[in-house]
Amino acid sequence: MNKDVRQQKIDVRYAIAELLSNEKTSKIATPILSILLTLITTAILLLILGSNPITAILGFLRAGGFIPKPSYASNNNMFTDFLLFLGIMAPMLFASLGFIISHKAGLFNIGISGEMLISGFIATLLVGYSDLGPWLAKPLVLLIGMVVGGIVGAITGFLKYKFNIHEVITSIMFNYIINYVTGFFINSYYTNPFTRSSMPASAASRLTITGLKLNGINISIPLSIFIAIAVAFLVNFLLERTVVGLEIKATGLNQDCARYAGINVSKNIIKAMTLSGVLAGLAGVSYYLGYYNTIVPKKLPDIGYDSIAVSILGNSSPLGAIFASALVTIFQNGSTYVSSSTGIAKEVASLITGLLLLFSACNTYIKYRAGKYVREYLDLKNAAVVKTQAASEGGQNINGFGVH
Amino acid sequence: MLGKMDQYIVEMLNITKRFPGVVANDNVTLRIKQGEIFALLGENGAGKSTLMSLLFGLYEPDAGEIIVKGKKVHLSSAKDASKLGIGMVHQHFKLVPDYTIAENIILGDEPKRKLLGLIPYVDIKKANKEIEELSKFYKLEVDPTKLIKDVNVSVQQRVEILKMLYREADILIFDEPTAILTPQEIERLLETMRELRAKGKTIILITHKLEEIKKVADRCAILFQGKLVGVYDVATTSTQKMANLMVGREVVFAQKKEKDNFGEKVLEVKDLSVLNADKFEVVKNVSFSIRGGEIFAIAGVAGNGQVEIADAIAGLIKINKGKVFLKGKDITDYPIRDRLLEGISYIPEDRQKTGVILDFPLYFNLAIKNYFQKPFSEKGVLNQTVIKQFAQKLISKYDIRCGQAEMTLLRSMSGGNQQKAIVAREIEQNSALLIFVQPTRGLDIGAIENIHRRILEEREKGKAILLISLELDEIMKLADTIGVIYNGELLKIAPAKDFTINEVGQFMMGVKGA
Amino acid sequence: MDLVFIDGLSFALILLIMAVAAIYSEKSGVVNLAIEGLQGFGAFIGALTAILITHYTNDSSSSWIMYVALLAAMVGGMVYSMLHAVLCVKFQSNQVISGVVINILSVALTGFLTSVINQAITGQASNKFMVGVSPRFDVPYLKDIPVIGALFKSMYPFEIIILVIVFIAWYVLYKTSFGMHLRACGENPHAVDAAGGNVNKTRFIAVMVSGALSGLGGMCVAYSISAQFSPTIYMGYGYLAIAAMIFGNWRIIPTTLACFFFGFARSGGYKLCLVLGLSSNVSELLMMLPYVLTLLLLVFFSKNTHAPAAGGQPFDKGRR
Repeated sequence: MNKDVRQQKIDVRYAIAELLSNEKTSKIATPILSILLTLITTAILLLILGSNPITAILGFLRAGGFIPKPSYASNNNMFTDFLLFLGIMAPMLFASLGFIISHKAGLFNIGISGEMLISGFIATLLVGYSDLGPWLAKPLVLLIGMVVGGIVGAITGFLKYKFNIHEVITSIMFNYIINYVTGFFINSYYTNPFTRSSMPASAASRLTITGLKLNGINISIPLSIFIAIAVAFLVNFLLERTVVGLEIKATGLNQDCARYAGINVSKNIIKAMTLSGVLAGLAGVSYYLGYYNTIVPKKLPDIGYDSIAVSILGNSSPLGAIFASALVTIFQNGSTYVSSSTGIAKEVASLITGLLLLFSACNTYIKYRAGKYVREYLDLKNAAVVKTQAASEGGQNINGFGVH
Repeated sequence: MLGKMDQYIVEMLNITKRFPGVVANDNVTLRIKQGEIFALLGENGAGKSTLMSLLFGLYEPDAGEIIVKGKKVHLSSAKDASKLGIGMVHQHFKLVPDYTIAENIILGDEPKRKLLGLIPYVDIKKANKEIEELSKFYKLEVDPTKLIKDVNVSVQQRVEILKMLYREADILIFDEPTAILTPQEIERLLETMRELRAKGKTIILITHKLEEIKKVADRCAILFQGKLVGVYDVATTSTQKMANLMVGREVVFAQKKEKDNFGEKVLEVKDLSVLNADKFEVVKNVSFSIRGGEIFAIAGVAGNGQVEIADAIAGLIKINKGKVFLKGKDITDYPIRDRLLEGISYIPEDRQKTGVILDFPLYFNLAIKNYFQKPFSEKGVLNQTVIKQFAQKLISKYDIRCGQAEMTLLRSMSGGNQQKAIVAREIEQNSALLIFVQPTRGLDIGAIENIHRRILEEREKGKAILLISLELDEIMKLADTIGVIYNGELLKIAPAKDFTINEVGQFMMGVKGA
Repeated sequence: MDLVFIDGLSFALILLIMAVAAIYSEKSGVVNLAIEGLQGFGAFIGALTAILITHYTNDSSSSWIMYVALLAAMVGGMVYSMLHAVLCVKFQSNQVISGVVINILSVALTGFLTSVINQAITGQASNKFMVGVSPRFDVPYLKDIPVIGALFKSMYPFEIIILVIVFIAWYVLYKTSFGMHLRACGENPHAVDAAGGNVNKTRFIAVMVSGALSGLGGMCVAYSISAQFSPTIYMGYGYLAIAAMIFGNWRIIPTTLACFFFGFARSGGYKLCLVLGLSSNVSELLMMLPYVLTLLLLVFFSKNTHAPAAGGQPFDKGRR
């Protein structure tokens, strides 16, 4: 009787381990584990500090418009919040797609923040401050975002290829340089003395249409989210089904073999970093000319770094990034509301994102350990079977050859 | 003790060791006498390296006991083994290239002194002196102040041996020591072993080279698929018998080769010069040509430029001077892909590093040379069905063993099957020139026979074949023409039948002669 | 002109201790991009200690508190670096990702905890710990040497501490057997393993040393440049230190020269602004000078560098 119970317990552990290590299921199982671990850790932390983790979680969901708040400002409701949430999820999604593409090529584009800032800035300058009508302005904004971001990405990739400078260092240097340069220009020429941030961009150029009413409720239409989700599918198609995607992945997995097979590794490095920059540029314009319509000088958008967490959480899958970015945005977006309604420090959102990143980074190790457990479990099972077989057959085979 | 040949210095009794999915050693019992040279013979995967790793403390047995010098011991680390006087010369040297010979030898057992009685530091001067004396005593001359990266492979091996002697090892384990040596250097090593035996050391030699066992070993244990087949007296056992016991069946030593039927010149290399990363000329003025249906083998000690010649032809390394012609066309400045398309197939030296992408499934790996062409892809979009069908065709034609057919990850395939996949892919390109670099490295006899058969088949089809190998038997067996390389120059090129093995060895050592 | 030397030296030495931290880790084979996060976390712990002591003893004579804070910062950095060590050595994660994780987590963790702790102590959720600036002193006799004498004027005590520690670090790395093992782990860990050494343990210790020295560097930043602990501690100096290490080809003495170059370039830039009477916006723009210089120098020097051969690869016993 006891043996059966023990057998059951071991089988549950085995089942979990199998889910975590199996090639097909681990892509979903390991991120879920990371999320669970993060939530548990945060809950414990909050309990120690005397706060209620459940209220916190509910607060985040309320802020995102997933469940209703107790009260709303005039003419707002849950839908208003949800649409705003989508508007901030879009740049997050773009940014993580950018990181994913560079990651597939074996590179780390830490410069997404800088690329966002500079593309947002130039788009604001050229289109946001112009009188172009919406049908011209919006596509132009997208185009500028892509081009500017792409150029910065290309330079980063070029420096790596030509001078062997690690792209992490280059991108971080660019982040700081862009930060200071744009800050200088905004403070010197484009500043709004009351808000201390840049002059607002025109409504025509914004990728989020605001000021609309549906049945008397305030709504905004985040055009960027539709583009972002479409781009996610596009990136997925690119990576999985095209020649370009195959070459980028080959370059990332084994440069020696890629080269041997005739793939131009340096071109692919630059290609990947450029594409990454293009996506970061889209993130930038959907952030600074979408959700917001102004730029705070000398502040690099956190999204650039959070996108790393999103990509690693989603196991570098473009489609997984959709869900992962939604999740991380729920936390980032809700920090102000949660802090004002529960008193929990607003930095808790960054903490949660950081923990998510930490646990996701352990994904490969967890998969490896689970796989080891599965193999040992199966080995023991097989050994037991062989033993019972031998016992029933009586006697063993003699050492030596000829018995095959 | 000297003279007491009947005393067992090492006993491994009923040893069993399992790894996930395989029983590496299955109830093996060995007794090694003090002062003998004891050989451990077996194919790859037979369990000989594992057995000795247990003796050297790198792993612990799942069952059985180890008795050293009469006492039962429990070895959990290399240091434990070292304390008992057991030392191991590894197949892949464990040396630090930027350190001197002395620093490498003393690593882990450094002579220390204290400045002012308080501040510790490593006494390099003392180390240098001790090592000089040691090297003279055992006739293994080295200069302790030279950097490892500046000395050649046989000197590096001497350093590995000195590492053991510095720690006063009595039992010296050699793991496949002759793989990277010229015939002359091999003789020197065997002589060293006899010298060590004369000084009272016990030597365990792990090898698959039957002639060497015959030359120097007293007794030989044969392992097969983890089990001990038997322990034999070397003097009274023939190499044929040893070979049969090693593979479990009758072994055919010579492969049937068809008559010469050479066609047009396919490859021509003229005055080739190649520089390495340090701007050192590793290939100097090399010229040769290969006809269709001809196997041209380059023999030489590792590191003399042969791989660079192959890389230069395939485009993986830049050509400094000279020209390469394929079917009459000057491909010297062609990028890699264009050369491949002109008709070059290349089976690289390091299959896992260069030949495949371990984390891609088999079907991508098999298509890695064709994916950009129709029908594998159209307008930049891959046609997964075509790619997978191609893979399935190769899997059955070349008998590639893979757990999940074309979806198998390369990483989970065995070395032999990975190589089969690479050979399959390269042969299917139907190129006029096939380059094989060390194609049978690390493979067992069955896999080796398979690859040799394929090479000869391609020869029958009229392909030009460039073979680069460190195994002289392989070259003597397959080559129509042999070029011997030394220090980047081809010292002699002649038909294989005009060479004896000793002559080849001499050229490999740089002895220029008729 | 004196100011250029004084400020340049203090900044250079702060970079140096962080660069040496990076060298220790990388020489042992663990790529360490986490210096930024480690210095930040160390500064956080150090500043926290200073605040707590000041709060509970009502003693604001900062001298001995500063030294305790410096020590606490080293301990804090060391403890936090164990995260990187576990991820890289035990879990064999990608070391670049781990470094980025440590940096991001550090910003998040220290921001959150600072807010919470300030709330608890002062009732106000602030994201700063004020620690004040460290006192300075002049070295007698040496300060009177013409021109270079400026280097010995108005020094911070921690500069001396850094110099002593760097010397000890250099000695240990090149003259002792521990240092010999450590460097071998970064070139060929299998050699160390076969010699009976414990590669993973050595690497773990190297990363912890890295954390301790980074923490010290961060605290020195708080006591000199920013006079507080706040999110501005993450100025990217950790990355500059890594760049200095690359220029110095992972060797301590050339790295020292690189750090001096950065330090004097920065202070020289400020002086230039003052002399030319440029507006505050422009002087803020010139803050980017160190980063631009880093890029330019990397362009010219990266080709010939020789990183530790085994860097970035987790030690796998099974691979022979």
